[in-house]
Amino acid sequence: MLLFRMLLFSLWACAFGVRAELPDYQVFPAQGEHLLLWVTSERGRAEPEVLAAEKLARQGVEVWSLDLVNAYFLPQLPSSMDRVPQQDLTDWMRSAVESGKQVTVYTVARAAAPVLRAAAQLEPALRNRLCLLLMYPNLYTVAEPLAEPDYLDLGSLSGLRVKVLQPRRSAATPWLPGLIDHLTQFGATVAQEILENLREGYWARESPTEYEVAEGQRMDAMFIKELNSGGCK
Amino acid sequence: MKRWLATLALGLFFNAAGHAAGFEKRASTPAPALEAQDLKGAPKTLASYRGKVVLLNFWASWCPPCLREMPSLERLRVKMAGRPLEIVALDSAETAEDVNAYLSRMKLGFPILLDPDGNNTRRWKVFALPTSFLLDAEGKVRYVLTGPTEWDEGEALQVIESMLAGMPVQAK
Repeated sequence: MLLFRMLLFSLWACAFGVRAELPDYQVFPAQGEHLLLWVTSERGRAEPEVLAAEKLARQGVEVWSLDLVNAYFLPQLPSSMDRVPQQDLTDWMRSAVESGKQVTVYTVARAAAPVLRAAAQLEPALRNRLCLLLMYPNLYTVAEPLAEPDYLDLGSLSGLRVKVLQPRRSAATPWLPGLIDHLTQFGATVAQEILENLREGYWARESPTEYEVAEGQRMDAMFIKELNSGGCK
Repeated sequence: MKRWLATLALGLFFNAAGHAAGFEKRASTPAPALEAQDLKGAPKTLASYRGKVVLLNFWASWCPPCLREMPSLERLRVKMAGRPLEIVALDSAETAEDVNAYLSRMKLGFPILLDPDGNNTRRWKVFALPTSFLLDAEGKVRYVLTGPTEWDEGEALQVIESMLAGMPVQAK
């Protein structure tokens, strides 16, 4: 009987051990009505992203910056994004929406996959209040030469407003229509914007052009424009 | 001893993984259509190069790995002069101005084609740059390489030589 009680206690303790928790994120507090959830790419948080978050906070936009590879001790690889606990992200987004602020989620590259899946797990009423800005999202399962691309199953995105920001100078640009179709099929309302003369990760490239450096330094202005224009459709 | 064996096993694993990331052999896959223009606006299709082994390279002037391998493509052209190999570099989804700006800095002797609307990129299902296809004399895809290489040496040269060796001897 004692053994049975110990077994029950272990199960109870394990249940608490695996329950979702909010991931470790960095807050740039501000008093304005907007809250930007900034989920960095699988390469982790870059210095220009921190500077942009600081500038946004000074302009009244609160930023919660989440570096998934750092928060979950993952290697800096696209495949790491598929190992992020979905429930954590969903709870994080829910807590943001319940703050009463106007919430926009911004994410980059493969990090779009767990973010979209987390949004799909939100209650529809909460999902309807979110706007997602996706910077060159990578949602492929398979993308091989001479073969039709295959995309991730994301779950229902009904009611979700999404805007894709696509740098022109990217191998993914010719494939943007297929990506938009894919997001639309899952129920999202999708807008797009091509970012001229920019490459993927332009804010943190090894050999950036002068224009990329300048645009990397004015990311805060890009967000202010998106937030004030409604960003998503 | 155990540690040494583990190191050896790891080495073999990474060596195999590295090899797998190289040229991918295809079982004589029919090539998609190529409908492009050269820098003078002349239309080009694969039929323009029929009867030769074709190295079709998808690239862009903003792509550092693409630019890194360009000198080796030019060296390959010089090395293979007089042999039935055609090197064709198809610029993906850029304007002629972008391409000419690069060519003013880098002189290349092989044909450069344009794909400004990305139609060929989509038709050939190219998702990363550079991506290269080696086509046999009948216009069928025999090898695919995603990523850059040094074209005038090593595995790349071996693969090209093997394709040239497999060509039927032409009657004079």
